[in-house]
Amino acid sequence: MIEQLRVKFARRGQAFGLAPSFILPLKGKILKRALQMGIGPKKNTADILFYGLTALASFTVLMIILGVFFVLLKESALSIREFGVIRFISSTDWNPVTESFGAATNLFGTAVTTLLAMVMAIPVALGIAIFITEVAPSSLKGPVGAAIELLAAIPSIIYGMWGLFTLAPIMAEYIEPALQSTLGRVPLLGILFHGTPMGIDILTASVVLSIMIIPFTASISRDAFNLTPSVVKESAYALGATRWEVVKNVVVPYSKIGIFGGAVLSLGRALGETMAVAFVLGNNHQITSSLFDAAATITVTLANEFTEADTNLYLSSLFYLALLLFVLSFLTLAVAKFFMLRTERRHSR
Amino acid sequence: MKIEMETRGLNFYYVGGVHALKDVTLPIYKNSVTALIGPSGCGKTTLLRCFNRMHDLYPGNRYEGEIIFEGTNILSNDIDLIELRSRIGMVFQKPTPFPMSIFDNVAYGLRLNGVKKKPDLAERVELALRQAALWQEVKDKLLESAYALSGGQQQRLVIARALAVEPDVILFDEPTSALDPISTAKIEELLEQLKKSVTIIIVTHNLQQAARVSDRTGFLMLGELIEFDATEAMFTAPNVKLTVDYVTGRFG
Amino acid sequence: MTRARMRKLESVGALALCSLAAFAGLFWLVFILGDVLVHGIKALHLHLFFKDPVPPGMQGGGLRNAFVGQLLITFAATIIGVPMGILGGTFLAEYARGKWMARIISVLSDIMVSVPSIVIGTFIYALMVRPFGHFNGWAGAVALAIIMVPVVVRTTESMLTLVPWTLREAAFALGAPYYKVITQVVYRGAAAGILTGVLLSIARVAGETAPLLFTSFNNNFFSTDMNGPIASLTVTIFQYAMGPYEDWHRQAWAASFIIALFILVITIIGRTIVKMRYDKG
Repeated sequence: MIEQLRVKFARRGQAFGLAPSFILPLKGKILKRALQMGIGPKKNTADILFYGLTALASFTVLMIILGVFFVLLKESALSIREFGVIRFISSTDWNPVTESFGAATNLFGTAVTTLLAMVMAIPVALGIAIFITEVAPSSLKGPVGAAIELLAAIPSIIYGMWGLFTLAPIMAEYIEPALQSTLGRVPLLGILFHGTPMGIDILTASVVLSIMIIPFTASISRDAFNLTPSVVKESAYALGATRWEVVKNVVVPYSKIGIFGGAVLSLGRALGETMAVAFVLGNNHQITSSLFDAAATITVTLANEFTEADTNLYLSSLFYLALLLFVLSFLTLAVAKFFMLRTERRHSR
Repeated sequence: MKIEMETRGLNFYYVGGVHALKDVTLPIYKNSVTALIGPSGCGKTTLLRCFNRMHDLYPGNRYEGEIIFEGTNILSNDIDLIELRSRIGMVFQKPTPFPMSIFDNVAYGLRLNGVKKKPDLAERVELALRQAALWQEVKDKLLESAYALSGGQQQRLVIARALAVEPDVILFDEPTSALDPISTAKIEELLEQLKKSVTIIIVTHNLQQAARVSDRTGFLMLGELIEFDATEAMFTAPNVKLTVDYVTGRFG
Repeated sequence: MTRARMRKLESVGALALCSLAAFAGLFWLVFILGDVLVHGIKALHLHLFFKDPVPPGMQGGGLRNAFVGQLLITFAATIIGVPMGILGGTFLAEYARGKWMARIISVLSDIMVSVPSIVIGTFIYALMVRPFGHFNGWAGAVALAIIMVPVVVRTTESMLTLVPWTLREAAFALGAPYYKVITQVVYRGAAAGILTGVLLSIARVAGETAPLLFTSFNNNFFSTDMNGPIASLTVTIFQYAMGPYEDWHRQAWAASFIIALFILVITIIGRTIVKMRYDKG
């Protein structure tokens, strides 16, 4: 087939004034590239049209990302002019009546719920991943792994609603009083558990968020663990290592970049999660020391106030929040992607 | 010649019931090199992995018969696999350095066994690296990642790692099949040195290699031990027709 | 000897802890699904599908408007998002394979998959709601389509890459132009994988709430007019669950149950297709 192509190319090449001796020795790879550029043996308008169509569709992705950034920038221009950058992110004021807006309380809520959720989710997710890859008998590996993947597909609104109706009462009734009477008595640590446990607060929101990201984080970690070549594990066993020593000294170090990337990816997801926290965080613009207080994340503020914003500055400030969230999560996800690509490259070598 | 290990009527079944070793009885002599040869799929690697019970890592595999090591049957259920494996080392086809420094790779087995003091560790790591003929090449970069070494160096590092815990036996599973001729020659030379202190069992698909490095050779086919004899006899005057065909290259 | 014992104990203990963590995690997840199942089935009623909402506070009524709205929006999003995603993935895997542009778009798509969906909602609000002065179903559909596109782009790209190059060469040898090779040969070879990508992307957007809040908004009346605000199950769940009425809560559970069921079924179908097609040998 390559031969035929060469001959055809030679003919066409001659039309462009190229000597056949130049065309004929071309390797299949170059022919392939020529074909990819749409200058194959039969070049026709339909081909060019299809090429253009696919190119357009694929550049839409680029356009959307740029579009989101610039549209949000344009919409928040009013607020950016009014409050600037530093003042906006450092001000704790969020007052629609006096039209004084600052993002600090939202950033605080987002940071605290996300970090708490990560702290709770990562150990459990790693536990699940280790369980699936190294502990579970092979008859359990498949089903548990599949269950985890299915759970990752459950939409966040269901986690959120469950949090409101089922978890929040349990938190208010049992868990939070228990925490208060134990950890709450510890000096310094106590301020974290101050106030009346209502169940609609930072702690509950973080728990719901962590439960929601566990399946996702676990499934990425499992994939990372699975990249450890079994012969490397075997050589640790061959030295007399126990199963745990193999996990600790070989599997985890071997996959640490992948796990780190996965954790950052989960962080990026948690940052932008709306529905899992919107039900149980309250919407209270304050920076508090107690985990038993209501708060507001960027996403919760947007979900609750966007349709109610009655002045241009109010709406513009909400767009400003959305822009901050977009930039924040984009950067986080880019970092995650960078690490994931590094592991991919390492293993494809 | 003293016998170090011995299989008696060994049968092995993979999960799913494939009968991979059939009634293998084979002595392994102390301080010598025993080569296992045979066409691919003949069970030579399966047999090798019985000696340190590597098959136990995957549930459903089953042994029958006995492997005697220092008077006890290591196939019995009450054998401590951790201890067994720290006395019978293994080197694989591809180099398997761990994701840590050169020093930590060699020290790994020692640390598992409770050697903690820096000077002790340093001394034994150096000794092992010298035994593996790698010391001169790595002594100035012990703290660098093991991945920075070449393939041949990595394989010698892995050998040093196995040697460091002073095992009685080391199992080599086609240790040079992924290496260039020069690295291969170095490792073959090394085997010659090592047999003074350890017993070596090597699986190889390279007949010349078996002839060069081993004292005794076992020829397996379809899970059966067809013939076992001194290497010289095997390659010059085998008793069985199948062996003749194989060592003269008529199949395989 | 004691040291060996210690190590073994440590190993057993640590792995037991891992298993415990695994079961703790699975416990919560089973708890949630079980809860949705129990409450949802209890609240299921034919009225849910065939009746529209009654005024707030009154008993009875159903979510016919939300079911129909949800279907309309999801369907429109699929019509917009899927062709765009497949074509985009085709460009990356065929015409631009290995080029830096393709790599960048590919990485950006991966990032897009996880960009907060509420941000997409605000973006579409600025583009498609504010200029018209009212919420509308099309805006919701476009917001969901934007979430679908990168998912479909990436699966299409990777599935097309799996089709061996020799298959294309064989088609070229018959004299087919590249677009015919792609549409008639390559797509056929990757059909199962692409279909799975489409199913998973539908599952992904079917549960999205945040991007609909400020686009299609909500509508307590039955409407099929995509140019006006239109109800969706997810936004209705949000509104009803946060509302004060017992009857609303009941219906929110039922709606959650239906959505979870729908998504799980679609996801399972998608994964089964991939398993059957690509896991052989």
